[in-house]
Amino acid sequence: MRPELVLQLTIDGLLLGGVFALAALGLNVIFGVTRIVNLAHGNIVVLTALSAAIAFQRFGITPIEGLPVAMVGGALLGVIIDRLILRRLPEDAPTAETTSLLLTFGVSYFLVGLSLAIFTGDFRSVAYLTGSWLVGPLSIGKSRFLAFAVAIVIAAMLGVLLRSTKIGRALRAASQNLDGARACGVSIDRMRTLSFGLGSAIAAAAGALLSMIYAVNPDSGSQFTLIAFSVVALGGLGSYAGALLGSAILGLAVSFVGFFGNTQLGAMMPYVVFILVLLFRPSGLLGKSVA
Amino acid sequence: MIAKRAGYAVLALLFVVLLLAPLSGNGYIVSLCYITALFVALAYGWNLISGYAGYLSFGQITFFGIGAYAVAIGVTRFHLPWYLCAALGGVACAALAVPMGWLMLRLRGPFFALGMLGLAQTARILTNLTPISGGSEGIYLPPGANAIAAYYWTLAIMVGGVVLTAAIDRNAFGLRLRALREDERAAGTLGVDTTRSNVQAFVLSAIFPALLGGGYAWYLTYVEPNSIYSTEIELQTVAMAILGGMGTLWGPLVGGLIMSQVSESLSTRFPQTHLMIFGALIVVLLIALPRGIVPAVAAFLKKRGIA
Repeated sequence: MRPELVLQLTIDGLLLGGVFALAALGLNVIFGVTRIVNLAHGNIVVLTALSAAIAFQRFGITPIEGLPVAMVGGALLGVIIDRLILRRLPEDAPTAETTSLLLTFGVSYFLVGLSLAIFTGDFRSVAYLTGSWLVGPLSIGKSRFLAFAVAIVIAAMLGVLLRSTKIGRALRAASQNLDGARACGVSIDRMRTLSFGLGSAIAAAAGALLSMIYAVNPDSGSQFTLIAFSVVALGGLGSYAGALLGSAILGLAVSFVGFFGNTQLGAMMPYVVFILVLLFRPSGLLGKSVA
Repeated sequence: MIAKRAGYAVLALLFVVLLLAPLSGNGYIVSLCYITALFVALAYGWNLISGYAGYLSFGQITFFGIGAYAVAIGVTRFHLPWYLCAALGGVACAALAVPMGWLMLRLRGPFFALGMLGLAQTARILTNLTPISGGSEGIYLPPGANAIAAYYWTLAIMVGGVVLTAAIDRNAFGLRLRALREDERAAGTLGVDTTRSNVQAFVLSAIFPALLGGGYAWYLTYVEPNSIYSTEIELQTVAMAILGGMGTLWGPLVGGLIMSQVSESLSTRFPQTHLMIFGALIVVLLIALPRGIVPAVAAFLKKRGIA
């Protein structure tokens, strides 16, 4: 194997990993506060990516320009999932965990069906900034780099929000100790909705950026749900560093396997990594949360 | 008592109808009966691991797929009779489910569900890439009078599902499963071998989709990864068990009977939006009727003092 090729695939994988990290950070905020496994998370990523592809193709709106709209849309979707669906969980439901899992399962397939009805089953991506920079023997895709850079900026902004604002502190408190946070006057009710809104807005941002570098169809949703959970499991529910490391591993797996095998095997990697991670670290998801 | 007798009478009538209706030779009736029996039986299989044992699995379609390909490959490449291949598929899945269950059931509830979802996707992609399975082009089976044979195979499995569940509903194994579902740690403390019981439930619930998948391949006379490892089938099975009542003896039957008729009319009228409608249906059902029809009716009858 030529060393330049290895380096090239490594760079491609790491840049892709940056976008995966963003999707995972969104999930981390939701799961950290609510402990709800939201199976529809990846569908929000995919729905936004497909919308971004259509917006570019029909109206020439680039994913970067559309980013604010995408994030608002994602936030709305997250708030709807929490307020209109998960909150309606009746008192006599068998167990909250089972029922909320089934509810998000239903929402997830509702979104797959909706995406299929709107966008058909075709794989789509955005042909924006198709050129690349040549650095010695390596070529760095402009769109890939841009998506990565914006993802990192949004992740950093989320970090600042969580660490240095009042709302961020309340979110982190809620994810660390619900009763303690409640005792300090944090409205858990509001934090729950906020975490769904914020986490889904970030998932939507990841989707818009993803559309520049990775083709998806409506069925790809579960892939991104599992990518997000794998990243969280690999890195532990703890740190940004862990999340970035986890995403790097997944990005590399998709990039290398996609090149040496084929794209289908590459698309299988998130599932395989997820199962392996859980088998070797069944408690990987039980650490502390970022939010 | 009256309600119970009426219930058994309806059950007997239903069985006679399902047994005799396809003899009319009407293609539409055969397909309606087949879809009904298929989904009721699938719901019984899913109910064992997800209803009784309380481990939601969104990946039972994996075993359905293996069963279907066992028949497709066995019949076309090795010229074996289809029912032998279907039975072998069932045996293979039972054997596969032991180590798989032992590994996966160590995961806590929601992560088991995610893991099984991942497994089903992995199986679909691998099938797509394996030459012997015909890849994305699929495999055509010899056409002919397959539908009736596949139907009675499916009906027999459905009856097996009812009988097995009735036994489990009453015996110590069922009691152990329910104890584990309510509180795994407490049940373990009281001497229930948690892993063993859960793996047993997992193996049983894998055999059903495996055998049914075999019949499905013979019924359709064509297999292809996307239509066999079908998210629609998985989604509908789950919706039916929820509608009837998860973890109950009659839930899968009631849910399956109602929902398969709904599904049949929906898929002809709105083929595009099938997933959307079933996804929404699950959400609405869980909010409106979280325990399903059977427990709701039982509670109603008890209140009136009929049952």
